[in-house]
Amino acid sequence: MKFMKQQKKFESREQQQVSETQSQQKTSSREFASVEELLRYDAKQTTVPPGIAQRLGQSLQKEPRPARSWWRRWFR
Amino acid sequence: MDSSLAERLSPNQPLSELGSDEFAGLYQAHSREIYYLTLRLLGDTHKAEDATHDVFLKAYRKLNTFRGDSSHRTWLYRIAINHCSNLRQNWANRHLVTNVEECVWEGAASDGDSPLRVLEIKELGERIQKTLDRLSEEYRLLLLLVADEELSYEEIGTLTGQTPDAVRGKLHRARKMFAAMFEQHQ
Repeated sequence: MKFMKQQKKFESREQQQVSETQSQQKTSSREFASVEELLRYDAKQTTVPPGIAQRLGQSLQKEPRPARSWWRRWFR
Repeated sequence: MDSSLAERLSPNQPLSELGSDEFAGLYQAHSREIYYLTLRLLGDTHKAEDATHDVFLKAYRKLNTFRGDSSHRTWLYRIAINHCSNLRQNWANRHLVTNVEECVWEGAASDGDSPLRVLEIKELGERIQKTLDRLSEEYRLLLLLVADEELSYEEIGTLTGQTPDAVRGKLHRARKMFAAMFEQHQ
């Protein structure tokens, strides 16, 4: 299974020499070893919209203070 | 709500600026994985924004029920999975169809990226979403959870209601299906 990933890849010294002399023909490719790696890359590229934090801040202002948990009360 | 926290949570102030606060810290630490999970489960940036907001609001309301038996991460994942499942069920009941082509990719790349990179990320994300959408809900969820390196098979099993061995077996099939379908979208 092959997934494409952006990384310069030189498989051998010969290939490197060729690429040095033919720098204009260098190609980049994306290659992932597993589905997990692909999804991790995708997750890393995903930006959390800052508007969520702002909305959450507004929503929390309207919330009552959460009650202390029973186990905290028990141990304090 | 804690008055000092309320003051610090002014509408224009992002939670990320609240450094020392416990809940803000929770948001800072886990908003990325929760947003990503909801984005890929729901396939829509706007719905994912709403869902992430709702997940953390629910978490805040349920803070007193968190006993520390699981990690915060697992606890938030459980809330997010249930929330998305309920949303999808409601949409199915209403026969609503999401137009993935138009609305999924608006927020997939940050503003600082070059145009080419944005295009690459959009195209890759588009392929990933289309592939995930063709999988069963169970396989989609398993793949998204196992992609989180901090989750063990045991935790994934707990989150999805099955044994770690069952998770391993299904993941094997899910990976193969994903790979085959992903290639079809090339």
